[in-house]
Amino acid sequence: MIANILDGIVLGLQFGLLAVGLTLVYGLGGVLNLAHGQMAVAAAMVVALAQAAGLPIWLAAGLGLLAGGLMGLILDLTILRPVYRLRGEARVLLSLLLTLGVSFTVEGFLNWRYALGALSLRIGGGAVEILGVPMRRGSLAASAITLATFAALFLFFRYTSLGRAVRSVIEDQEGARLVGIYPHRMLRLILVLSGVLAALVAITRAMVTPIDVHSGLSITTFALIVTVVGGLGNVAGALLAGLILGIVNAVAADLIGTYISLIILLGAAALTILTRPAGLLGVRE
Amino acid sequence: MLEVAGFSAGYQGNDVLHAVAFRVDAGEAVMIIGSNGAGKTTLFRAMCGLLSPSAGQVRFEGNDITRLPAERIARLGLRFVSAERHLFPRMTVQENLLLGAYPHRPDPQTLSTVLELFPRLAERRRQHAGTMSGGEQQMLAVGRALMSKPRLLVLDEPSTGLAPLLAQATYKALRVLRKQGLTVLVAEQQVPLAMAFSDRGYVLENGFIRLQGTTAELAAHPGIRSAYLGVT
Repeated sequence: MIANILDGIVLGLQFGLLAVGLTLVYGLGGVLNLAHGQMAVAAAMVVALAQAAGLPIWLAAGLGLLAGGLMGLILDLTILRPVYRLRGEARVLLSLLLTLGVSFTVEGFLNWRYALGALSLRIGGGAVEILGVPMRRGSLAASAITLATFAALFLFFRYTSLGRAVRSVIEDQEGARLVGIYPHRMLRLILVLSGVLAALVAITRAMVTPIDVHSGLSITTFALIVTVVGGLGNVAGALLAGLILGIVNAVAADLIGTYISLIILLGAAALTILTRPAGLLGVRE
Repeated sequence: MLEVAGFSAGYQGNDVLHAVAFRVDAGEAVMIIGSNGAGKTTLFRAMCGLLSPSAGQVRFEGNDITRLPAERIARLGLRFVSAERHLFPRMTVQENLLLGAYPHRPDPQTLSTVLELFPRLAERRRQHAGTMSGGEQQMLAVGRALMSKPRLLVLDEPSTGLAPLLAQATYKALRVLRKQGLTVLVAEQQVPLAMAFSDRGYVLENGFIRLQGTTAELAAHPGIRSAYLGVT
């Protein structure tokens, strides 16, 4: 049981970080990015290719993060342009359709060119015992990186003026404009950040379990569920929801089975919408 | 400093403002008075870039700012305090104030001036803006605008939703700012409050400027006395 919970925490931290990108992009720009998982997978393939080309791992990982950020920027500059002209429900719907198209395109391309491509980052050394449970070094390294990233995000949003400006757009876009903040610049920044975070999750995930070209849909699904449970535009909520759902998922997968655990997660998301529509830490408007 | 000419604006093609013209000189306090629905808010929203005007021109310190986006206009030093305030409710008073200076580094001197002007804000620095009373939120909205050291402060109905004492306190703070040399343009339907504060004024009725003059001239005008000051 403790082993399951620890595994769940490792997974949950990553879920949470995946959801951060998705939830911030939605909170800032009313854009729901269904290509989030495919962006992560594409970045993982960049890392795998760079490694295969003989680059050291830190450089390959750096290229992967860069690729993630670049994909966010490209989304902003191309496919999301028509979305920005719309408001409200139409905007969300068009963003859903267009990014779904992107997800198919990216996955189709990767499947065509690199059907057997996969990223697996092995971290050597024996297991480390935590609370009596032997944990792989890869899982620990992945969790440490993810936690450090969360800490950096909290500091950024709390103590830098740019971070506060991003939050202000989520809270009141008109208020932000009246103090001289360009909402679209903040959205672009956060799209790039969400791409980098997706890449980071793909890389750290590969330290735990291989990422292949078909992992995109499940990554997007997990990110969406965590986003819904955590509340839109809420970093702390994403972390908390990621941890809870990660543990639920690991325990359920062990006790009942992997397919059922996904259904349980979806059920948890549905229950959250019914009972706390603004998410775990959300405040009702 | 501010010149508005032939300015028309409205919603869905229906103008509610018709060729409005007025000006504000540096150092002045100017009021635009009119009843609810006269078009004051539409005028300010279109002037400050939140709404696209259908005709006319706005010049600010010699530059044409017509149709510039609100965020550009704010950075030029024309700060609009909306009647809805548009604070950041889940951010602290302090964070709201600091954001007022964005993208510049907040000036500690300006911050202490603002906190001196509104001691309530100093007491509530760590509190979330959304949990404050209407009067405190109004102070914060003005304080946030001041953090940018604006050239011109534009206020839409600063007395809205405030008890009489708080509304008077707001105007008291505005008078202090005037003495420090700030140029202020205010729209108000509580005319006596605005009159006690302004040098000049314009009367907006059904989207037209009907009258203009110094505060003394307007206060003596029989139409104003009966319609807005309750004197017959």
